[in-house]
Amino acid sequence: MRYIIDILIAISLLFALAGVVGMIRFRDVFSRMQASTNISTLGVIGVILGAIIYSAVVLGDYSMVVKLVVMGIFYIITNPIAGHAVAKAAYRRGMAKDLELECDKYGEDLENAD
Amino acid sequence: MKKIKFSAFLSTAIVCYLFWLVLTGQIVSIFTGGASLQILLAGALVSIIAALFSARFFIRSKAFYLANPVKFFIWIYYSVIVFMWELIKANIDVALRAFGFKKNKPGIVKVESDLKSDYGLAALANSITLTPGTITLDIAECDGKNYFYIHWIDVATADVKEAGDAIKGTMEKWIRRIWE
Repeated sequence: MRYIIDILIAISLLFALAGVVGMIRFRDVFSRMQASTNISTLGVIGVILGAIIYSAVVLGDYSMVVKLVVMGIFYIITNPIAGHAVAKAAYRRGMAKDLELECDKYGEDLENAD
Repeated sequence: MKKIKFSAFLSTAIVCYLFWLVLTGQIVSIFTGGASLQILLAGALVSIIAALFSARFFIRSKAFYLANPVKFFIWIYYSVIVFMWELIKANIDVALRAFGFKKNKPGIVKVESDLKSDYGLAALANSITLTPGTITLDIAECDGKNYFYIHWIDVATADVKEAGDAIKGTMEKWIRRIWE
């Protein structure tokens, strides 16, 4: 059982590392945000799963398990809303103006609307 | 104060009470014995008062939309298996990009969706944002159809239909079963 917990936490640390490296290596705001969702999905889910197994099997504390599940659910619900808000605000501030984007349908449609 | 529907009030109060039970740890004590009556009653009172104020923000249209057991199990299945599989695939993809094994081709694409309800659109937009590699920037309604503007880290095609199939995958099908 101990090995399963360790493996889960190691996997999530690997993805968190990938997120951090991506945040440094990528060049623009949006790509960096993409890399940071790596941390906030599998990076967090792995740690929470490991903590659930640890507190259920090793500690035997079931109220902790329930709290961890609630923590995970709230994390999953609230995280994309913040990500969407930050990305939209960055676009509206004109961060995408001087980037080399493959295509920019949003900008075209915004110009047509004006 | 605006008038609220009783069903909306009731479902908000039930959800508040469930969270009270979870956060005070009473939900375990109910099954093992030794739950404190005082805490249970205080929680009921607090959740009724909270539901009076928050019901009209919490419930937009249908009050008991997840009370249908079939929908509830599809919801669990979607979030634990379907969505988790999409998440793992996308995570590995973005991790490879971060370490430099693949090149980025970022761009903003437009994707069409035939979902209608607010819940369905919000659920699909949040699922897309939560998958690494795609972020929803905006939702616009045009001629009765809803369009997502999505920042995609690897633009394979700028076409509305093909990009939609690549990004949404199997998620839209399951969301339509739950919230439509």
